[in-house]
Amino acid sequence: MQVSIKWLHDYIDFTETSDELADKLTMAGIPVENVVHAGEGLEKVVTGKVESIERHPDSDHMFITQMNVGQPELVQIVTGAQNVKQGDIVPVAMIGAKLPNGLKISKGKLRGVPSNGMLCSADELKMDLTTLTDEQKDGIYILPADTEVGIPAKDALGLDDDILEFELTANRGDCFSVFGLVREIAVLTGNTPKWPEIKVNEDDEASTADMIKIGIEANDLCSRFSARVLKNVKVMESPEWMQARLENAGIRAINNIVDVTNFVMVELGQPMHAYDYDQISGHSLTARKAIAGENLHTLDDSSRIAKGEELIIADSEKPAGLAGVMGGLESEVTENTTTVVLEAAAFNGVSIRRTSRACGLHSEASGRFERGVDVTQTMRALDRAAQLLQDMGACTVTKGIVDVYPEEKKPVSVDFIPAQINNRLGTDISGDKMVEILDSLGFRCEEDGKGGYHVAVPSWRNDVTFMEDLSEEVARIYGFDNIHASTPRGTMVQGVQSPLQSFIDRIKVTLTHIGMNEELSFSFTNPDMFDKMMLPADSPLRQAIPIMNPLTDEAPLVRTSLLASVLENAIRNLSRKNEDIRLYDVAPVFYPKALPLTELPDEVVKVAGFMCGRRNPMSWNTSNDMIDFYDAKGIVEELLAKLNITRYQVVAGEYTAMHPGKTALFKKGKEIVAAVGELHPQVAENLGISKKAYIFEMDVPTLMKYSSDKFSFDVLPKYPAIVRDLAMLVDEGVNASDIEKTITKNGGKFFKNVTLFDVYTGKQIADGKKSMAFTMLFQSNDKTLTDEEVDESFNNIIAAVEKEFDAELRG
Amino acid sequence: MESKIEQLRQEAAKAIKDVAGTLNDLNDIRVKYLGKKGELTSILRGMGQLSAEDRPRIGQIVNEARQQLEQLIAEKNQELKAKEMAKRLASERIDVTLPGRQTSHGHIHPLTLTLMEIKDIFMRMGFSVEEGPEIEKDYFNFEALNLPKDHPARDMQDSFYITEDILMRSQTSPVQARTMQSHEPNSPIRMIAPGRVYRRDDYDATHSPMFTQIEGMVIDKNISFADLKGTLEDFLRQIFHKDVKVRLRPSFFPFTEPSTEVDISCVMCKGQGCRVCKGTGWLEILGAGMIHPNVLKMSGYDPTKVSGFAFGMGVERITMLKYGIDDLRLFYDNDTRLLEQF
Repeated sequence: MQVSIKWLHDYIDFTETSDELADKLTMAGIPVENVVHAGEGLEKVVTGKVESIERHPDSDHMFITQMNVGQPELVQIVTGAQNVKQGDIVPVAMIGAKLPNGLKISKGKLRGVPSNGMLCSADELKMDLTTLTDEQKDGIYILPADTEVGIPAKDALGLDDDILEFELTANRGDCFSVFGLVREIAVLTGNTPKWPEIKVNEDDEASTADMIKIGIEANDLCSRFSARVLKNVKVMESPEWMQARLENAGIRAINNIVDVTNFVMVELGQPMHAYDYDQISGHSLTARKAIAGENLHTLDDSSRIAKGEELIIADSEKPAGLAGVMGGLESEVTENTTTVVLEAAAFNGVSIRRTSRACGLHSEASGRFERGVDVTQTMRALDRAAQLLQDMGACTVTKGIVDVYPEEKKPVSVDFIPAQINNRLGTDISGDKMVEILDSLGFRCEEDGKGGYHVAVPSWRNDVTFMEDLSEEVARIYGFDNIHASTPRGTMVQGVQSPLQSFIDRIKVTLTHIGMNEELSFSFTNPDMFDKMMLPADSPLRQAIPIMNPLTDEAPLVRTSLLASVLENAIRNLSRKNEDIRLYDVAPVFYPKALPLTELPDEVVKVAGFMCGRRNPMSWNTSNDMIDFYDAKGIVEELLAKLNITRYQVVAGEYTAMHPGKTALFKKGKEIVAAVGELHPQVAENLGISKKAYIFEMDVPTLMKYSSDKFSFDVLPKYPAIVRDLAMLVDEGVNASDIEKTITKNGGKFFKNVTLFDVYTGKQIADGKKSMAFTMLFQSNDKTLTDEEVDESFNNIIAAVEKEFDAELRG
Repeated sequence: MESKIEQLRQEAAKAIKDVAGTLNDLNDIRVKYLGKKGELTSILRGMGQLSAEDRPRIGQIVNEARQQLEQLIAEKNQELKAKEMAKRLASERIDVTLPGRQTSHGHIHPLTLTLMEIKDIFMRMGFSVEEGPEIEKDYFNFEALNLPKDHPARDMQDSFYITEDILMRSQTSPVQARTMQSHEPNSPIRMIAPGRVYRRDDYDATHSPMFTQIEGMVIDKNISFADLKGTLEDFLRQIFHKDVKVRLRPSFFPFTEPSTEVDISCVMCKGQGCRVCKGTGWLEILGAGMIHPNVLKMSGYDPTKVSGFAFGMGVERITMLKYGIDDLRLFYDNDTRLLEQF
C-alpha cells in the first residue's frame, strides 16, 4: 500500500512534514516503510529540447545532441540512447546534478567529444516504473511535445508529491485505504477530517432492480453483494488529477471506469469490479462456488480449470470472474461498453486467500479481502463511484441499488474496566482518558454503571474482539514511549537449563579446549551423500525424511547423519585451501519411526568431528608432522575423560565411512559410546579429499547415560613409589590393550598403573614382531615398599605376559 | 716463623688476586694454602714443635692469616661467579622477537558464543531454558499460537512442510505452548527457548533457510506490558551496551496483544544514521507482546487469572551487530579462517 501526501491532504489538514507524519504513524502501529520525497535528486534536472542530433564520429552507438534547455546557448550532450529524435523534449541532468541513484553529473568527454550533461531515463529519475508502458521504460523518457522547455523536470513529470510506502500489518485491513489512514492521522495530529460528501443523483429513469438480478448461493463465502447500473457510459481517459493520484498509489491508469473503481478501492478500502452489462448472460450475477472442471477465462487472458472450491461470480451461463481476485475477460469494460454493472461485495478472506495463492494472482483487491473489508460500506462505495463518474459526465445512474445482504452484521461489543487495561499495560491511565482515546478512533463507549464500559466496535475494525485488543488501542495512542518500564514481580526462581543443554555445553567447551573448531550446519542433506559415504543399501540412515517443498534439489531430505554435514563443511574448507582442519558439530539428526511420517521423528543429538592436516600449528619451531589416527583417538579419549565416562572397552570394528582397519569403537557392553577412525579411502576419493583425514562420531544421549557426575578425590600418596619398566617382543597382531589388561590383572596389591611408553618395529626387530615397552608404578598407602616386595609382583607379571603373549623380554 | 707466615700470606693473597681464570683455579689456590695439606695448614700442624709461649701467638697469627685469605677467596669467588654469570648470560642471548610456540586450541562458533551469553543473562534473571522438537506439529507451530490454517499472517513465513500436519518448525514459539501444557494450569513460568528454526527463504546476506531464534515467555499474576519493556531493556543493555536506547513500536503478531517491535539505537553509528540502520538511527532487534488470551486458553491457562508476555529474536542478527558481520551466510559457511577468529 502506498499513498501520496496530496491525496491525504484532500481529506485532512496537517502541518507535519512527510517524515514527521511517517514517524507518527509508525509509532502508532501503522508502519511506514519508506518515504519517497518528490523530486529528490532532480534539483538540477530540467526539460530540454533536442535541437539537433548527429552520430558520434568515433562510435557506432553514440550520438551528439545540441540541447535547448531554455538558456541562450545550446548545450552539447553525448548520449548512448537510441530512442531520441530531433524535436523530442526529454529530461536533462545538468552539470552538478546528483541523481536519485547517486550518479553525479560532471563535465566530461565521451570518445573525445565534450559532453555537458546527461539525458535521463525514467529509471534514472526514480519514476514509478509499474505505472509506465514498456516504451516509456526503455531508453530516454520522452515528455509530451507541448512540455515547456527549461522548466524543472520534476514539475513536468508531476513528481511534486511525496509518497508514503506502508508495510501494513495483517490485522489492520482498515488502513488499506485513504479514509482509514485519514482517521488515524486525525487522532495522531488532532485535526478534523474533511470527509467528501458522497451523494449520487439517480438521473436515469430505469430501475436497477429491473435491469440486474443479484444472488448469493455461497453464503459462507460471500456475506454481501451490492450492485449499481450505469447507463450511457462514455469510456475515456480519466481526468489528470485522478490519474496522478492513482499513479502515486502505484496503480496504472486504464480508463475512467476502471480508474474510478480503483480510486474508490484505495479511498474507501472497498474493492469493486465493473462489468459490461451487455456481456452478462441473463443479466444476472450470482456469487457461488465454482463447479470442478468449469473453465475460468480471466482478464489476463488465461484459462483456468476450476477445482471446485473457488468463489466465482457467474452469470446465467458461465463464470464471469474469480470473485475478489480477477474479473472475467468476456465481461471486461471496453471502449464499446455503454452500460456498466458496478459490483461492491464482501467476500470471505480465507477463501480469497486460498484462491489467489492457488492461482498465483495477488491483486490490490485480493489483498484487501484477505485482511477483511468493512461489510457496511458496499453501498457507499457504489454511490461514491457513481458520483465520480457522473461528475465526469461519463454516465447516467439508474434508480436504486440492488443489495443482497442475507445476515446483517451486528456491531461487536466489548466490555472493559479501566483497571484491567492498566493491569495489562502496567500503567495508571484514567478511565476518562481511555474513553477519549477509544472515542477518537470511532469506538463508542457507554458506562455500565459499575465502573466499566460497554464498547461498540466500529464496523471497520474487524480485528477488535477482546478487552486485550482495546488495551492495544489505548497503548498505541497513549504512546508506548509513555509507558514506564518495570520488572516482573512474583516468585523469583533460579534459572536453570536442562541436563541435556548443560551436557552439550560441556561437550562444546571440552572439544574447543582440545583444539577443535565448532561448526553449525544446516539440517538438510542430499541422498547423493549416502552413496558417497558408501552406506549399504539397507542402511537405516538412508531412511531420511523428505521435505514436501524443499528450497532446492540439493537439499531435499532432513539429515540422518551428522558426519555427512561435517564432511560437507570439511570439503568446502579444503576447496578453499584451508589445509589444517579440525571441525566438530553437535546437533540433532532425525530418525523417522516410519515413512511417510505419521508422528514426530526421533531427534537425536550427535557429536561428529573431522580432522586433517598438521598436528601443530605451522611454526618455525614445531614439527610439521601430520595428525594420525592416534591424535583423533586422543581427542575422543580426552572428551570421554572430561565427561567422566570410564571403564569402556576399545575394540577394532567397523563404522560408517571409516577405514575398516583403522576404526576404534569405544564400547560399554554392546553399546557403542564413540567411534573414531580414518576416513575410508574410497569415501575420501568419492568426496574428492586427497589427504588422510580422521573422523569421529558419538551419540549424546548414550554419552549422557554413561557420564557419571560422581567424582571422588584420590588421597595423595605419603610413601614413595617404585617404578619398573618392562620391554618385550611380541607378535605384531597383539593388542596393546590386552597386554595392559594382563599386567593389571597380575600386578598384585601394590600395583597402581601401567603406561605404554614405546612401540617399535623396524631395524633389529624380526619381521612380524614388534617391541613394546611399559612402565609400571607400585605404591603402598601404608609404608615405603622394598624392592623385594615389588619383585614378587613384577615377576608374576613377566610370567603372565610370557605365557599369554609368547613375549620375549628385552634387556 | 712469623716472617715465613707473612711471606706465605702475601704470596697467597697475590695468587688469589691474580686468578683470572675459573672457579677451579681459585680452588686450586685454596687447596695449595688452606687445604688439608696446604702450606698454611701444615704450619698449624707443626705447632706441636713450638715452645709453649710461642704456640698461642703463632697460632693466632696463622689463624688471622687464614681468615684473611678465606675472606679474599670468598670475595674472589663472588667476583668470578659474577663474571661467569655475565659470560653465560651473554652467550645465551636469543632472538626474542621470534614467535612463541603456538598451542592449538579450538574455537566456539560465534553464534554459540552469543547464545551462551544470552542464556546467561536470562538465567541470571530467573529464566529457565526449555527445548522442543525441530520437526513439529502444525498444531504447536501455528494453531496453538492463535494462527489457524489460512490465517493471512501465515504468509509472514513460508515453511518447510513434511506432511500436511508436520513441518520443520518455523519459529521457537511452539515451545511456549509445549511448556505451558507441561505445567500445572496457571502456574508461573519464566522461560527462554533457543533453537534452530526453518523458513523457506532464499539464502542471501540476511536470510537463511535455517537460523537460530530465542523465544522467551513470562507468565504470572499481574504481568504487564511495562514488565515486558523493563525486562527487554535490561536484556538489550546487557547484551549490547549499557547506553543503548530502546524503542518500542506497536506491531502485530497473532499470538500477542498488544504486540510490539523492539528497536535499539544503532550500535554501529550510535543512532546517528548509517548504512546498517539505513539512516534511521534505529535497528529492529526483536518482536514481543502480551500473550494473546487465546494462546493462554489453548494451553489450559486462564487469561482472567494470569497474564504474561512473550518475545522472540534472531541470534544471527544480534551476532552480526555485535561483531559487525555483514553477511549471514558466513555463519553456515564454517570457513575455518572465520571460525578461528572467535
